[in-house]
Amino acid sequence: GWMLIGAAALVLIACAMVVVAFGMESVAPGVHDAFHDFRHVIGMPCH
Amino acid sequence: MPLTFGFKDGIIAGAVGGVLWGFVSMAVNSATGVFTPETGLLHDTVSFALGGGLFGVVAGGIIGAGGGMIPFRNIFARSIFTSTLIWLILRVGGAMLSTIEPERYHVLTPEALQGLSLSALLGAMIAGVWSFWKGTAGENGKALKA
Repeated sequence: GWMLIGAAALVLIACAMVVVAFGMESVAPGVHDAFHDFRHVIGMPCH
Repeated sequence: MPLTFGFKDGIIAGAVGGVLWGFVSMAVNSATGVFTPETGLLHDTVSFALGGGLFGVVAGGIIGAGGGMIPFRNIFARSIFTSTLIWLILRVGGAMLSTIEPERYHVLTPEALQGLSLSALLGAMIAGVWSFWKGTAGENGKALKA
């Protein structure tokens, strides 16, 4: 049961990772500027 | 009996390894000079720790839950394979976004090459944290089998 909760949490964290990786302002306002340098350094597309 | 890299182990080792990887990524970028940071050191320290932790937890969780779906037994090979695959999937998604919105998501090759190398390093660091945590020396090397 706990592991299923953990798996569900992992899916949510994976979604957060995608939002951070692409700087999705429409999902999380401010995320683009907050992780701008991080995205460039790890080679994700960015402007 | 080899130690097993479970789901919970993956989350914990991924979180620790990911945060450390965030700091190492900052240092690597400073050394390579591929990207000139546009925000302050304090801001970057926090964002790289959070971003690294996110990537690490996802990679660690997948390594732990992946079981037979990941085609390696050695924990370092499994970790590097998984973290690199996650990066490549995100990169393919990014390339698709680049075709849709080239102004917003343009591709920079030196950064991509650095990112690919860093993604492999993330896997190595997660495996390294787990091996250190479980005491590889005490297990006479058996801890390196997942």
